[in-house]
Amino acid sequence: MEISPDAWVLYEWRGLRLNATIVFTWGVMALLVLLSWAITTRLSEGETVSRWQVMLEVVVTTIRDQIDEVGAADPARYLPFIGTLFLFIATANLLTILPGYQPPTGSLSTTAALAICVLIAVPLFSITRRGLRGYLQSYLQPSPLMLPFNLISELSRTIALAVRLYGNVMSGTVIVGILISVAPFFFPILMQLLGLLTGLIQAYIFAILAMVYIASASRAQNRNDPAPDTEHPRTSREGD
Amino acid sequence: MQIDWLTVAAQIANFLVLIWLLQRFLYRPITEAMARREARIEERLSDAKSRRKEAEDEAEKLRKERKELEASRQEMLEDARVEADDLKQRLEQEIRDEVAQKRETWHEMLEEERADFVEDMQRKAGHKVLDIAGQLVAEFTASGLDDRIAQGFVDQLNDLGVDTREKMAAAAEGADDPALVETATALDTAARRKITRAIHQQFETDIEVDYQEDDAVLLGVRLTIGEQTVEWSAARHLKRLNRELDALLDTASPARRKQTTDEQ
Repeated sequence: MEISPDAWVLYEWRGLRLNATIVFTWGVMALLVLLSWAITTRLSEGETVSRWQVMLEVVVTTIRDQIDEVGAADPARYLPFIGTLFLFIATANLLTILPGYQPPTGSLSTTAALAICVLIAVPLFSITRRGLRGYLQSYLQPSPLMLPFNLISELSRTIALAVRLYGNVMSGTVIVGILISVAPFFFPILMQLLGLLTGLIQAYIFAILAMVYIASASRAQNRNDPAPDTEHPRTSREGD
Repeated sequence: MQIDWLTVAAQIANFLVLIWLLQRFLYRPITEAMARREARIEERLSDAKSRRKEAEDEAEKLRKERKELEASRQEMLEDARVEADDLKQRLEQEIRDEVAQKRETWHEMLEEERADFVEDMQRKAGHKVLDIAGQLVAEFTASGLDDRIAQGFVDQLNDLGVDTREKMAAAAEGADDPALVETATALDTAARRKITRAIHQQFETDIEVDYQEDDAVLLGVRLTIGEQTVEWSAARHLKRLNRELDALLDTASPARRKQTTDEQ
């Protein structure tokens, strides 16, 4: 049994292997983009709005509200990045109900890629907001002694992000695979349903943590900021 | 746990592409559409608000106009009522005046009629009294008054004024016809002789005297010589009385009418 879809190579050309992770990622991307395109080409600005449009509007406004709740000053700035994280992970996880589908988020390569994106996005957003100097100074807070710990924290949370998502999704797939061999009827379905829930929660956690990191890095220079510890209530969920 | 770094790189690229695609096809159109819709709703709300304001202003204006109209209507009604009252009073006054005038005229006419009636009544009563007196005299003369009549006539002749006596004498001289003595009843001979002698004596003539009866004389004697007449009779008295009564009534009536007119 293959644990990671990376090992499922569909095509190989001169040492470049096109594995299932990438193919399913493309599938998810295609689904998202086509759906969005199909709906947004017929956008209505009047009183009557199609259900699909309402659904998209609900999704977008909910993401924006969540970003706003975390405390970011300008939700529209972070919406593409955070929204895409959530939509991609959620879609990738929810599609597990299709037979033969291997979620790309079950590959450590994918989750690592997403975590690296977050790792890069945090300083990028912070620098565009506060300038390079301001960002670098945040590593010396509250005292220069904390610099190594800040660096370790930055790195470890990135790894945690990647591994958490990977572990959860992969474990769901593995559990279903094991259960099918042990108890082939009914029971795997329950686990699959549980997997859908877990997948959605993981998507939420990943996106919201990324937002928390970005927000805390963007606001770190202001010590008097009334909500500097937004990360703490969220981190309690990291054990999921 | 295995990480295929090539796959990681591909996935990073995939993710960045997905961000761009979703930004292109999802977030921007949706947020823009929502923003536009919000703007439109805002616009329509403000439009509705301004229209409502306009409508309220208009309503207020109309209310004010209606109130003014009501007030002016009341005023007009009040004016019309006052005018109608005035007209009514004036007409009533006119009618009252007219009625009063008519009543006055009627009263005058009534008064006149009454006066005429009273006058007529008085006249008729007077004449009636005189008639009765005449009748009484006539009845009394029927029995043995000849001598007294003759004596009375003789006395009258004796008392005649000089002027009348001369006229009578002149008439007796120039007369062709005999003197005519008229009485209501035929006188006896003694009376006739007495009268004839008195005539001859008074007028110093010997004129022939005829005796005739005339009921109109009533009581007394009428002597006619030529064109001169001397009458001593009740009829003459009654005639004079009647004339005097008429004259009195005729003078009294205009005076009384004049008096009532002056009182008004």
